[in-house]
Amino acid sequence: MKRNEYDVIIVGGGITGAGTARDCAMRGLRVLLIERHDIATGATGRNHGLLHSGARYAVTDQESANECIRENMILRRIASHCVDETDGFFITLPEDDLNYQAKFVESCLAAGISAEVIDPKEALRMEPALNPDLIGAVKVPDGSVDPFRLCASNMVDAKIHGAQVLLYTEVTGFIKDGDTIKGVRTYNHQTHKAVEYYANITVNAAGIWGQHIADLAGVKIGMFPAKGALLIFAHRVNGIVINRCRKPANADILVPGDTVCIIGTTSTKIPFEECDEVRVTPDEVNLLVEEGAKLAPALASTRILRAYAGVRPLVSADNDPSGRNISRGIVCLDHEERDGLKGFVTITGGKLMTYRLMAEMVTDLVCRKLSVDKACETAETPLPGAGGKNFREVAEKIWENPTTVQKAAVARLGTTANRVQTSDSLDQSLICECEEVSVGEINSAIERLDVSGLTDLRRRTRLGMGTCQGELCGCRAAGMLAKAHGCADKARDDLKDFLTERWKGMYPIGWGDALREAEYTQWVYKHVLGV
Amino acid sequence: MRFDTVIIGGGLAGLTAGISLQEAGRKTAIVSSGQNAMHFFSGNFESPSADRDRIAALFAAAGVRTNAIDGQMLMPMGTFRDASLTLEDVTVFPDRHVADKALIVNFTGFHDFFSTFIADALEQDGTACRIRFVRLPEMEHLRLSPSEMRSVNIARAMDEHWEKVVADIRILHKDEDLILLPQVFGLKDASVLDKIRTALPARVAFIGTMPPSVPGIRTQMLLKRRFEVLGGTYLMGDEVTSAALHDGIVSSVTTRNLDTVRLFADHFILATGGYFSKGIVTTPTQVHEPLFGLDLDFPENRSAWYRADFFADQPFMNFGVKTDEALHALKDGEPVRNLFAIGSILGNTRKEDFGTAAGLAIRTAFAVVDNIKGENV
Repeated sequence: MKRNEYDVIIVGGGITGAGTARDCAMRGLRVLLIERHDIATGATGRNHGLLHSGARYAVTDQESANECIRENMILRRIASHCVDETDGFFITLPEDDLNYQAKFVESCLAAGISAEVIDPKEALRMEPALNPDLIGAVKVPDGSVDPFRLCASNMVDAKIHGAQVLLYTEVTGFIKDGDTIKGVRTYNHQTHKAVEYYANITVNAAGIWGQHIADLAGVKIGMFPAKGALLIFAHRVNGIVINRCRKPANADILVPGDTVCIIGTTSTKIPFEECDEVRVTPDEVNLLVEEGAKLAPALASTRILRAYAGVRPLVSADNDPSGRNISRGIVCLDHEERDGLKGFVTITGGKLMTYRLMAEMVTDLVCRKLSVDKACETAETPLPGAGGKNFREVAEKIWENPTTVQKAAVARLGTTANRVQTSDSLDQSLICECEEVSVGEINSAIERLDVSGLTDLRRRTRLGMGTCQGELCGCRAAGMLAKAHGCADKARDDLKDFLTERWKGMYPIGWGDALREAEYTQWVYKHVLGV
Repeated sequence: MRFDTVIIGGGLAGLTAGISLQEAGRKTAIVSSGQNAMHFFSGNFESPSADRDRIAALFAAAGVRTNAIDGQMLMPMGTFRDASLTLEDVTVFPDRHVADKALIVNFTGFHDFFSTFIADALEQDGTACRIRFVRLPEMEHLRLSPSEMRSVNIARAMDEHWEKVVADIRILHKDEDLILLPQVFGLKDASVLDKIRTALPARVAFIGTMPPSVPGIRTQMLLKRRFEVLGGTYLMGDEVTSAALHDGIVSSVTTRNLDTVRLFADHFILATGGYFSKGIVTTPTQVHEPLFGLDLDFPENRSAWYRADFFADQPFMNFGVKTDEALHALKDGEPVRNLFAIGSILGNTRKEDFGTAAGLAIRTAFAVVDNIKGENV
């Protein structure tokens, strides 16, 4: 085999691409994954992190609901280290129609989702953060899932099975031979080199940017970018996911995740050109704060950490360019059948929750085309790090008397935390105090997880995701990266980018304590440290 | 209780005003919540050289030695800043070629001193750098907790064990003409700095760390002591809760700890700082001064408070309490005749006259003190 030849090239390093790379590699294919930024930079890292039970879709879309609950149960098994089994409530407030509840429960049960009506008083006892005015509650098997961890785990396992991953590499064009795609032209933003890669099949798994990739290949996909804005609160106000029991609307889901909780979302159509630079507007922030407090009144007095927005890859299910037939379901396009273009397939639509199923569908298609007869095993095979009931149990299997730093590492990395050096007090020393990220964990990420900068490091370790938003740990970690990569200049520029990236999510909510923190950060970096 | 002047806020601005007033024989009280920007002071007064004699004299009387040298200050991230007056901890270099060879010494596992960045920057200006680490058994207890290897904790250990570190550095030192150390020495007693300089075989420069700032904390303690030695009343850990303001005159304030005992004074000085120390408070729609409800200018549209580039000049950093020429605070467009605003509560509203940062704090304090003493009226 020539160095640049593969069975399959996957374009996109979000959860769909990572899952597809894993599935293809597990079926014995020679896989190359190409991502123009870092892993999980698109919609994968810009959502609620909700492990949907499917209940939200039960009334309107039975098929999606059923897909969700099946994948929900699978992820609890194969990605236990990424999942927090919190359960979820669908609550009815006085201004909502309580009649909707019966229809909701019936639809859930029909889709195979357990839905138990709970007395409002009992619900309030189980979740004290709930709005005490609630008149109804239904318990469903929602949870929370860390999309960064899930994506990284899929990527790691794909590599274990032989896949190659190229980050910061952009597809700039396709190599065509008549009606067949033979490979891709790429440009690496770090080495500044243009390289060509060849494969029998190229999978377009670029999310919303899949429209552009399809354009490059010479086929049309009608995407309908919809921006969704969310807010992160500085405390884990609720322990159980809280949803509104009504037709899906704005700001009606509050998800606890790690040390924080997240309210969302909104839905605004945006032009495709804006997908790379989505901003959260003051109106969106105001709406999220106002509606969020209806789910959990404590939110009104809880510090907001940051605002962010993602773009849903909604796609027209057929060739209808009007957008009337938009689907939130999975769209798997065989461009040979659809457009007469061989060697090119697209997997899009869908949701974080159904990434594995999407990967399975497109890998099945790829295997059929390559005449590979091997069944999908991703629903049964745990991801690296999964295993053990809870993080305490896992930690106690690795270390005799785990310290809080070791437990924090297990909570993020699952069983693979055993690779993190924590034997020495130097390794256990904390770089990020908000999220308890140690020297050992950062070194381990730098060594094993393709980290080229601080923002990459954040996606893999939660560094800088806490209360101070990287103001203290950014500098410390930059020092470690400067040493590890032997390049202080790059690390200093990287620190500036990191702080500007953190600021992007802070200024939309820049008042009160968040502005106090921002002033302090301005002082420290401009006057004290001299960045 | 009655004072000539009550100062609200015990940071650099409040202490400078308090000491100056006590030196002039004015009975002064400072109400301090305990938090202030001295804990992240760079050591650079960021003030024009014209003022430096007066500042240096005030600090010297408090036992704080300063360097009045025009030159370049080496910052913790390896960049340089202009300096004309600094704390004695800070070495001011004539130019960026600080030495031919430098030895940079850090403590093993101390991530708040950025030796790699400093070495990289100095090498670009022709200084060959070697980074070495020291590790003392006397500091091992700090490592038991994963978040204890921070500047002030190390400085506490160094107050006792600095001689052992000096002995280690003497072994590490080869032929370098400059030794760079983190600013973790002399927390209690700055004379340790001179002893270290004498004991080492090359010039020594102390470089800043991530806050808390050891020189800043020491300076704050010395200034507070000076104020109290002069007879000033420092109400530590207290907060002004309300103020009596009628017809453009403040007659008294109340504090949380003193409860019903009011503080009366002829003059009041507001030195409560910016956002961080809550001198200025923000909500989604408002920027306000919480004690007196003083005038502040800010755009109604919140988006205009910020710029997307974090390192650009941020509009919100310019917001501050409005004053007249003499720094009387304005309320409803009128000056409050015995209430002055000094320090970072002014934001950048008086940047042209008084500069920013530490320079702003000290120079506005001097201006107000002169006014109160009647020298400039």
